[in-house]
Amino acid sequence: MPIDRKFIGRQYGPYTYQIGLEKIREFAYAVAGGIPNAGFGEPPEGLNPLLYDEKAARSAPYGSVIAFPTFAVTFAIAPFAAAVADPELGINLLMLVHGEQEFELFEVLRPGDVLTTTGRITHIHEKAQKDFLVVVSESKNQRGALAVRGTWTAVVRR
Amino acid sequence: MPRQFKEGDTFTHVRECDAYRPIYYAAASGDFNPIHIDKAVGEMAGLGGAILHGMCTMAWAVEAAILYLGDPGKVKRVRVRFSRPVSIGDVITFEGRVTGIEGSRLVAEISAKNQRGEEVLKGATVEGSIA
Repeated sequence: MPIDRKFIGRQYGPYTYQIGLEKIREFAYAVAGGIPNAGFGEPPEGLNPLLYDEKAARSAPYGSVIAFPTFAVTFAIAPFAAAVADPELGINLLMLVHGEQEFELFEVLRPGDVLTTTGRITHIHEKAQKDFLVVVSESKNQRGALAVRGTWTAVVRR
Repeated sequence: MPRQFKEGDTFTHVRECDAYRPIYYAAASGDFNPIHIDKAVGEMAGLGGAILHGMCTMAWAVEAAILYLGDPGKVKRVRVRFSRPVSIGDVITFEGRVTGIEGSRLVAEISAKNQRGEEVLKGATVEGSIA
């Protein structure tokens, strides 16, 4: 059964997430080939200090450590995760793959930021025996500024 | 001297998906979908074992752009299509090329190929601020 197009426009959220310094570090370490725990040794070679080193980051333009650009996945995925698991949509999660992803980054993300994410289903269509579901998420920071917009595309095989 | 960026600039980055990378990335990102951490589930899904998160491959493409731009805070937009799974042991080569500069906004297209020359990402683009 194709996903019913009547669900276009359905909204999920808001979801609230507070960014922690150690979580920022763990994400940066894991991407850069390290172990996501600063307790297990030095940061991986070549990692940009702005992503983990408070002292180096203080004298840089942002004044603090900042998150890796795709760190937003940790919180901005919430509406997408809710949509694909929404029982009314009837998606078989074993047949689902993440097809496409886009992030637009309007603000750097810092430790202590509180992000509130909402999302809505913007597209449902089928092509070549596959269903496509697109969710657009918007995450605002504690000042009410749009920090991240994510466009999440799921592809469901039949 | 401020750093000069120009159209046609190229950059390269290589990352290997080591045996524990999907588990480490799962821990960092919070995505513990069993296809990434359980070989048996990956096999059941027809993927030949656990596969790396597409989002980790995407992060590596962004890492390639950060190494070129010099500042992770300058990345303003990133878009990818996941065209092929990345398995444990795969070595991914990222090749970026600056295709446009308009004002303070730079656009780079990035290809991502495994050790067999197969594309694991398609249409990957990163936009950066060079203000």
